[in-house]
Amino acid sequence: MTAIGEEARRKGWFARLPGALRQAARSDFWLRFRRNRNAVVGGIIVTLVTLAAIFAPALAPQNFENINMLAVWSPPTPENLLGADALGRDILSRLIVGARVSLLVAVSVLAITLTFGTAMGMIAGYFGGWTEALIMRTVDIIFAFPELILAILVAAVMGPGKLTVIIALSLVWWPGIARLTRSLVLSWKSELFVDAAIACGTRPHRILIRHLLPNIVAPIIVRASIGVGFIIMAEATLSFLGIGVQEPEPTWGGMIRDGLVSLRTEPYLSLFGSLALGITIIGFNLLGDGLRDLLDPRIRGR
Amino acid sequence: MSGEALLRMEGLTKDFSIRSGGLGRSRAKLRAVSDVTLDVAPGETLGIVGESGCGKTTLGRLVLRLLEPTSGRVIFDGVDITHLPEPEMRPLRQHIQVVFQDPYSSLNPRMRVRDIIGEPLGNFGYNNKDMADRVAEVMEIVGLPAEMASRYPHAFSGGQRQRIGIARALAVKPRLIVCDEAVSALDVSIQAQILNLLRDIQQEFQLALVFISHNLGVVRHISHRIAVMYLGQVVELASEDDLFSRPLHPYTDALIAAVPEPDPDAVDRQEPLSGEIPSPIDPPSGCYFHTRCPIAQDMCRTTSPEFREFAPRRWVRCHTPGEQAAGGG
Repeated sequence: MTAIGEEARRKGWFARLPGALRQAARSDFWLRFRRNRNAVVGGIIVTLVTLAAIFAPALAPQNFENINMLAVWSPPTPENLLGADALGRDILSRLIVGARVSLLVAVSVLAITLTFGTAMGMIAGYFGGWTEALIMRTVDIIFAFPELILAILVAAVMGPGKLTVIIALSLVWWPGIARLTRSLVLSWKSELFVDAAIACGTRPHRILIRHLLPNIVAPIIVRASIGVGFIIMAEATLSFLGIGVQEPEPTWGGMIRDGLVSLRTEPYLSLFGSLALGITIIGFNLLGDGLRDLLDPRIRGR
Repeated sequence: MSGEALLRMEGLTKDFSIRSGGLGRSRAKLRAVSDVTLDVAPGETLGIVGESGCGKTTLGRLVLRLLEPTSGRVIFDGVDITHLPEPEMRPLRQHIQVVFQDPYSSLNPRMRVRDIIGEPLGNFGYNNKDMADRVAEVMEIVGLPAEMASRYPHAFSGGQRQRIGIARALAVKPRLIVCDEAVSALDVSIQAQILNLLRDIQQEFQLALVFISHNLGVVRHISHRIAVMYLGQVVELASEDDLFSRPLHPYTDALIAAVPEPDPDAVDRQEPLSGEIPSPIDPPSGCYFHTRCPIAQDMCRTTSPEFREFAPRRWVRCHTPGEQAAGGG
């Protein structure tokens, strides 16, 4: 009986998993990834921040909502490793939970803008004509507004909150993706394999998804990973201005703002908030730079 | 021309507009294909030959309906496909396939060979099982080992890639294949292999081929009839034998003379053509060829010659067809 079990287990997917992992680790992409210092450093920072966000409640040493009047504006102590804020709440715990908000907003905005922006850009680039004119003029109009003004406008209409931040940032972020995608599609659609696909009866939506998308996805991923830094920054800005995520939920932007009142005497709140924000943005930008070097076929040859 | 043609091109003309000047809306017209009338019988190979820029590739794209003509008609198997909307055109595409010049650009680098060859099959209702069988079948026909089906195009040489392209064209059992410079990008030894493959396939499956090339030797090797193009016009149409034994148009004569002779002692029949091919934006008056023609007369500079049947099944666009042979000989 056990022998049969052993046999089945040996043939199961989990038995092959270590081999598959080893193979992946030896693959060309990983070898080059590990040799690219930007990508490695960025990747480590992004992984740590992501883990912190996922396991925030377990990692935070204290409850982020716990008010402790004895620890108001406390400097770093063994109890509050990074100090405490105006209500005596633990800064480290609030930073860790704040990572969750920042990443949630960033991931939501990316998901919306990558889907919508890529689709719009591909349609504009492939079909041309009035469809392209309509989409690209809309893009131009949104580009004409300063990003923050537009986001504040949305917040004014919808009222502050997490959803507002996501919608506002998606609105200002998709045109860039659409422009990039359109230009990529324009350069790829003149390839003969697109004509060959038309000539052998492939429908336009399949040409877009099967022929064009796989060829343009790498630069879009690079753009997205660099964009994460911008989105986190913009979310912090909106929260700093008070139109973003609301109390008691902690956000890095909101914490930086709250610390301003005592910046001269007790700078820990603003300081550590800014550090968390800065390091995370640098991490995503390094990862994006590294990915660009790795995925760009023009640089790959070196 | 005969009534049972599989493909008919009637007075096909294609203009491209070119923006001239910076901000101005003024547009120049480039006539890439000018009043081309040709037909292709089932199972026949029609060669189309001419210098680069003479409109032969545009003509191929018009037949494939990758471009819509400015005027004229394309009739396939009795159906006028000239302005057919794409949804109605799509079912007919099963019968008209294409092999492109560039075996690198014409295969999607991100698709496996199996998916590339299977793509037209999927479009025309083959299920997965039949598709796999048919892919294996056509890979064998074009001489590719079946186990290569799961590889990506970059693992193949130019000649092998062109075989993949031919397999894709062949998969849905078309009645006509347009070969646009299908061997020009290949080494000479590989060219011969691919040409022989195309000829074998053509005979075995009774395919009609439109074979476009700038290389007269290659066209001669494979074609039953040959159309010679100059500046968007067909200047001569004849069977392969007739064209080479007695060219009627002075341009055809010059093209044949320009084919390199393997015999170093052979005496050149004629001076090579002088001058550049004129711009199709501003073509010469009268006969388009008069600027380079060794036997041009006054009439040629003013009056455009008709495309006429000079002898049975021999069409030519020249005021004085066949004169150059008499003059030179």
